[in-house]
Amino acid sequence: MIFNSELSGQQQHTTSPVVTGGSVIALVYKGGVVIGTDTLCSYGSMAAFKNVEKIAQVSKNTLYVSSGEFSDFQQVVKELAKIDRSALQYDDGVHPSPRDYGNFLARLSYKKRCKINPLYLQNVIAGFHNGERYLALVDIYGTYLESNFVTTGFASYFCKAIISNYWNENCTLDQAKQVIRECFKVLFCRDCRAHDMIQLGYVDEQGVHIEQAERVETKWDFNGFKTRANEKLHTQ
Amino acid sequence: MNYTEILSPKFEPETTGTTIMAVIYDGGLIIGADSRTSSGQFVADRCADKIDYVHDRIFCLRSGSAADTQTIAKYVRYYVDAHAQELGRLPAVATAANLFRNFLYEYKDSLSAAIIVAGWDPYKGPQIFTLPLGGSVIEQKWSIGGSGSTFIWGFCDANYKENMTLQEARAFVLHAVAHAMYRDGSSGGIIRLLNVTKDKIEREFIDYKDVPVK
Repeated sequence: MIFNSELSGQQQHTTSPVVTGGSVIALVYKGGVVIGTDTLCSYGSMAAFKNVEKIAQVSKNTLYVSSGEFSDFQQVVKELAKIDRSALQYDDGVHPSPRDYGNFLARLSYKKRCKINPLYLQNVIAGFHNGERYLALVDIYGTYLESNFVTTGFASYFCKAIISNYWNENCTLDQAKQVIRECFKVLFCRDCRAHDMIQLGYVDEQGVHIEQAERVETKWDFNGFKTRANEKLHTQ
Repeated sequence: MNYTEILSPKFEPETTGTTIMAVIYDGGLIIGADSRTSSGQFVADRCADKIDYVHDRIFCLRSGSAADTQTIAKYVRYYVDAHAQELGRLPAVATAANLFRNFLYEYKDSLSAAIIVAGWDPYKGPQIFTLPLGGSVIEQKWSIGGSGSTFIWGFCDANYKENMTLQEARAFVLHAVAHAMYRDGSSGGIIRLLNVTKDKIEREFIDYKDVPVK
């Protein structure tokens, strides 16, 4: 049939996302790593799904979040779960470390990039293993970067300055969480595809903790905002 | 066979330009849909049933290309049937949703299909799963879809409440679908409602003259 895109023999693959998740911010702190994301999935410009849990627990000490096409995020969660399951088959008690997940995801993303069929995602993997904190960004092409702080999407434009000024890698968990909250306040004010309900998750020595969604407080009742009126410009 | 019509650049595939909706209430769920199947500007079927049977207590609401969604629904119906035979008990709604999801995700570039899977199972009660274009799966307490849904987001956000009674939920779905049909050229005709509970399935046919908003 003429409408079958597979007729030509080559499968075309989409490079444009449909349902997308927003910015992700992750910071290392003294005892672990904390990630924050909002709870919105957008359908183009529409804020379609407002209560989505986007922080995935991949293993006892690894968290995975991503921004970009939500169906690809769900697919990656399945792929990462497969690794742990197949590791169980060796029955030697050895589990993949956070870095193993990060590396796997980088290889998978690169393979798909080479076939011009990418996982349309900016991925963040965070973990705590053998007393060491782990945080990495894997982008749509499979570029793998380990770092002490990671931002995706709009957060990369707005939030790096906030992070540089108010965070250091040995701060406390509460300090790191507060920096992330400040970042999402700015994002809510300046990013059309952001939402003020966010969710934080952190990994430390004890394991993974994912918190309830919370609302960030933003201030709109500035005097300048309230008393702003166009008629004043033209009638004085 | 005459291909000239299909090969013409103006040929529009038959789609379910549509309004579909599902809402969970206290004790079950209500599904509603309009009845118009359009082929471009022509109404190909004015009395369609868009509430597709998947299993005894699992239904799917189809929007997008009629050919794509009917075919996928046929496969999923078959898989769920075989699965339920082996299981010996009612299948989980999430199972059906996942089977749909596998199609929509693997063939995301060739398909134009967005589906709402709604049903009741003995494990988690009434559930609704929304599967938009790319193949994600999102569980919700209420869901609207199809071209008509764009006109009623405001109405639904304003009028939805948690834990509605059957009567409240039925009125909510009926009015929402009616409002969508009122403004969307690709939705119209009659409204079909379905009430899914633990004990039974109740279909309702709302004649054109009884549609609350015209």
